[in-house]
Amino acid sequence: MENDLHLSQHISKRFNQELEEVRNQVLKMGGLVEQQVSDGLVALLDADMDLAQQVVDQDKLVNSMEIEIDEVCTEILARRQPAASDLRLMISIIKTITDLERIGDEAEKLGRNAIVLANSDGGSREYIELRHLGESVKEMLKRSLNAYARMDVEEAISVIQSDKNINQEYDDLSRLLVIKMMEDPRQIKSALRISWCARALERIGDHTKNLCEYIVYLVKGKDVRHINFDEIKQQIDI
Amino acid sequence: MVDMSSAESLLSQDTQINGTVGNCYSNDAKMSMRDVNVYYDQKQAINNVSLDLARHQVTALIGPSGCGKSTFLRCLNRMNDTIPICRVEGGLTLDGSDIYDKNMDPVLLRARVGMVFQKPNPFPKSIYENVAYGPKIHGLSSNKAELDEIVITSLRKAGLFEEVKDRLDAPGTSLSGGQQQRLCIARTIAVSPEVILMDEPASALDPIATAVIEELIDELKEKYTIAIVTHSMQQAARISQTTAYFHMGQLVEMGETSQIFTNPAHKLTENYITGRFG
Repeated sequence: MENDLHLSQHISKRFNQELEEVRNQVLKMGGLVEQQVSDGLVALLDADMDLAQQVVDQDKLVNSMEIEIDEVCTEILARRQPAASDLRLMISIIKTITDLERIGDEAEKLGRNAIVLANSDGGSREYIELRHLGESVKEMLKRSLNAYARMDVEEAISVIQSDKNINQEYDDLSRLLVIKMMEDPRQIKSALRISWCARALERIGDHTKNLCEYIVYLVKGKDVRHINFDEIKQQIDI
Repeated sequence: MVDMSSAESLLSQDTQINGTVGNCYSNDAKMSMRDVNVYYDQKQAINNVSLDLARHQVTALIGPSGCGKSTFLRCLNRMNDTIPICRVEGGLTLDGSDIYDKNMDPVLLRARVGMVFQKPNPFPKSIYENVAYGPKIHGLSSNKAELDEIVITSLRKAGLFEEVKDRLDAPGTSLSGGQQQRLCIARTIAVSPEVILMDEPASALDPIATAVIEELIDELKEKYTIAIVTHSMQQAARISQTTAYFHMGQLVEMGETSQIFTNPAHKLTENYITGRFG
């Protein structure tokens, strides 16, 4: 089957609406999580405590959206017993929101660490690499949400591939932080915090990769988790 | 936020049928059908269908009303012989022998390939007689004790014996709908068939009686090869190992049930099982 998912066209118009509504809810949750990551990063890099606190507080909203969408999905499964692409849509949504919620948790970590770092000496402004890593992760997340909205498998695969770069950037930054800690033990405390932030960003990259794997599953019906890039290409024949 | 309609614009609507998609053959086929065409007078009801019924498996035939699935099922034990305007072409074999061969006695064929219908249709006789009738006319027992044994065994296999053991002389029609259907299954089993064809066997039953029949089908496949026509997608998904999707007399797609219901290869199959406009 080609790239031919169509959410509408059910004989039951109500079912069309339900599927469209739940998909919109996921996009809305994706938008909120994207904003959380972006705000968490700004709060961290600009030592903005108010914004950091806002990110921490807003995580509750992300959590409640996950629960809400889960409930809607459970109801659709029970009432409609979806099959084929409808079933894959449900499964992919249930999995997607779990990863989105975890991305939200990582954004919250950025906020919490930003609050501590803003009160400590030094801060994180000097770390151009952290900013760069953050921007890369934000871009990756944005692309994956767009791919989800458009059900764009090629873009999803391209995003999956880009996770390698995130991991590389994280490794480079970790090395830099180790050197910094060795050079000046007084910086260990703040350097550790920054390391945790970098770790949070790297984890967001991993979760984003998962989102893209669910897009491939949704559109192509192929499970491309835990296999390398060449195998993915083979599986979905691109 | 991206406009939802952008996803819709990517859709292709390839609903052409160019032969059967998927795997319609089995390495261990009990029945093999090749290039089957069926006509009612001038009207073609089945168009070039080839498929195998795998031994000791449940094969579900699904498709919209009028797609030819029941017609096809009826070809498998020559039930269509009773319709004068019906003409069947193609190769249909049971364990390699042609079931439309001149030397094949349709009565004996129907003993080997039994059938259970949509509406339970017990004979207006006692429960015992309903089951004993087949073995009697086929001479499967030489005395009363043997016949009793066949009746009891068949009722047991159909999961009905415990419920009726104290009233075997009661009329078959006095049973509930689900029990009547199991009585019909017992009647089919009594003549030791090799294949059982079922035409919507649970469509007139409530969910509990349906569950009992489905459980029974699952057990029966250990001994028999089963083909079932059903309008219930969930039923096909629950009980069959292989699913065949018919559309306007053609076999559109056939494959493992798990694949058909999670990732069908043909657009028409997808449309049908998800309740979309075809």
